[in-house]
Amino acid sequence: MEDQHKSMDLLKLQEKLVAFFMAGSRPILSIILAFLVSGVLIYLQGINPLEAYAAIWRGAFGSIVAFGNTCVRTTPLLIGALGMTLGIRGGLFNVGGEGQLYIGAAAATAVALVPLPVPSFVHVLFAMIAGILGGAFWALLPAYLRAYRGISEIVVTIMLNFVAIYLVSYFVHEPALLAKEGASYAQSREILDTAILPIMVKGTSMHYGIVIAVLLGVLLQIVLKRTAYGYRTRMVGTNSDAAFYAGVNVKVSFFTTLLIVGGFYGLMGTVEILGLKHSLYDNFSGGLGYETIAVALMGAANPIGVIFSAFFFGGLKAGGNLMQQTVGIPSSMVVVIQALAVLFVVGFGVGAQKPIKRNKKNTQEQASTEA
Amino acid sequence: MESLLAQIEPFLQATIRMSVPLILTGIGLLYTERCGILNIGVEGSMLVGTFAAVAGSMVTGNVFFAVLCAVLAGGILSLAFAYLTVSRRADQLVAGFGINLFATGLTLTLMPYLNANRSRAALFPIIDTGPLEHIPFLGPILFDQSIAVWLAIILTPISAWVLYKTTFGLSTRAVGENSKAVATAGLSVIRLRYIGVLLGGIFAGLGGAALALNDLGFFVPNMTQSRGFIVLAALVVGRWNPFYFALTCLLFGAADALQLRAQTFGSTLPYQFYLMLPYLLTIAALAGLVGKTKAPKEYSKPYDPTHF
Repeated sequence: MEDQHKSMDLLKLQEKLVAFFMAGSRPILSIILAFLVSGVLIYLQGINPLEAYAAIWRGAFGSIVAFGNTCVRTTPLLIGALGMTLGIRGGLFNVGGEGQLYIGAAAATAVALVPLPVPSFVHVLFAMIAGILGGAFWALLPAYLRAYRGISEIVVTIMLNFVAIYLVSYFVHEPALLAKEGASYAQSREILDTAILPIMVKGTSMHYGIVIAVLLGVLLQIVLKRTAYGYRTRMVGTNSDAAFYAGVNVKVSFFTTLLIVGGFYGLMGTVEILGLKHSLYDNFSGGLGYETIAVALMGAANPIGVIFSAFFFGGLKAGGNLMQQTVGIPSSMVVVIQALAVLFVVGFGVGAQKPIKRNKKNTQEQASTEA
Repeated sequence: MESLLAQIEPFLQATIRMSVPLILTGIGLLYTERCGILNIGVEGSMLVGTFAAVAGSMVTGNVFFAVLCAVLAGGILSLAFAYLTVSRRADQLVAGFGINLFATGLTLTLMPYLNANRSRAALFPIIDTGPLEHIPFLGPILFDQSIAVWLAIILTPISAWVLYKTTFGLSTRAVGENSKAVATAGLSVIRLRYIGVLLGGIFAGLGGAALALNDLGFFVPNMTQSRGFIVLAALVVGRWNPFYFALTCLLFGAADALQLRAQTFGSTLPYQFYLMLPYLLTIAALAGLVGKTKAPKEYSKPYDPTHF
């Protein structure tokens, strides 16, 4: 008996190891494959792919300025992807990040435009709170519909993205609201100096957002793994029926989780404004919210994995510009690399896919062909 | 009165012009959705469709060949999506998003080569309908339009007929409602879903061609501007029925045409609110405020033959 127990434990450990390895190795394998296939595409344009990749590397990590650019690109992706991760773990697929970050950014900009008699870091904090609330507000309707009316959040959140983009477009066109008068491209007035998220390393564009983002990642990992809230959320995400019978209020869990996810995206938009853009303009994100879905996916919906994955995406974006300048490949080539990596990961099946019971396969297929 | 009529005529003409690419895309995507698949990659299929149409038209100067290129491009991209989601049972949203990202990156990367080609793209011809064109009011709106409009008018009833009156249509609808039952009846769910996705991609390519070659004849970055998502929305509002869907597209097209003319009609509502209208209407439909919307039962669920 004793021995049997021991071997069972070992088996479980082995299973865990395999699962861990698979979760980490598939994204890495996919990235390698994506670089190989993209290499062929670059070669077809008459350029040595190794030179192009070397340029990407130098543009992403080659110097302190380059690393600063990488951090700036990584920050919003990381914050949003952490929200996405919380959602996936809690059984929600929020495609509404793009809209939530627009509304969050608008709310934060509104606060950042008001002169307040407070120290700078308090002003930044107020703007961030406004941004988080803005993002959560934009998740309110899908959260209610999902939790209390049983309507899938997927299509509703997609539709709300477009509503948010047009709403913000209206805000930055209307001088009575946020718009700067006489601007050639519709945008808000510049935010006040006190609300700017300061630069961390002089001579680079690296602002404190990256610290906030990485700390959020560590915090989310602890919350998910070590707190009762995290345990309940994961339980609802894994099997909401089981969670219900275990006494978890599933509706409240769906509702609050989606609001928090919206808050993450609101913060994402806020940090982008306070740290980098310093004013809100028409179409300012250009699909960053959707990209976070890919980042969360590549990070296997694990906060620590997501940190690495966000740096990968951020680094590619920062490096793409140098590649365009030095070897003449359009920087949009890095979008192809990202897309291929995502498609390979999807093809290999990382994510919430349930394991398939192979032994059942033959009998079932027989049944379907016989009938 | 005279001047109002003079404004309404181009408005209705524009409404039809704007809704045709949506209708052409949707009457194919209908089959994807009715067999239970949510393909947001339709945006990508449309985008490569516009690109391939412009490229094909510039190179050969032949509209038929351009449409063939567009249909092939859209179809091939949708096959990649089908492989991922049907064969590999990948998450449909993430796969669709990956396809869109790929289409964006690919068209942007190839665009310099397209612009290096200085030849003009051949546009969709306007069919000469003779006396019909001279019917007051209706003539210019309906009969002074390009061949794409005719395609939409002819293909919509055909799409409906195939969906409701043929065995293939019945099987497709059944797969979306209860794939296990279809498998038990001895049909291949996998094959039906592949065909459904492929039809969606082919028609998205056609819709893309209609967008690019109706009056523009050149490619601009991100040319489709989320029209694929509008088609998805129109399918929801049109309750996955080809005729309701086409009417919804006309309504969405009207909203689009109206935002450009809002001020001439004396409206003080900012144009952004007209653009929001399709999405707000879709949310209302989903929330059950506008009639009863019933999605296919297995919408966005992967089919696993080994799992009962």
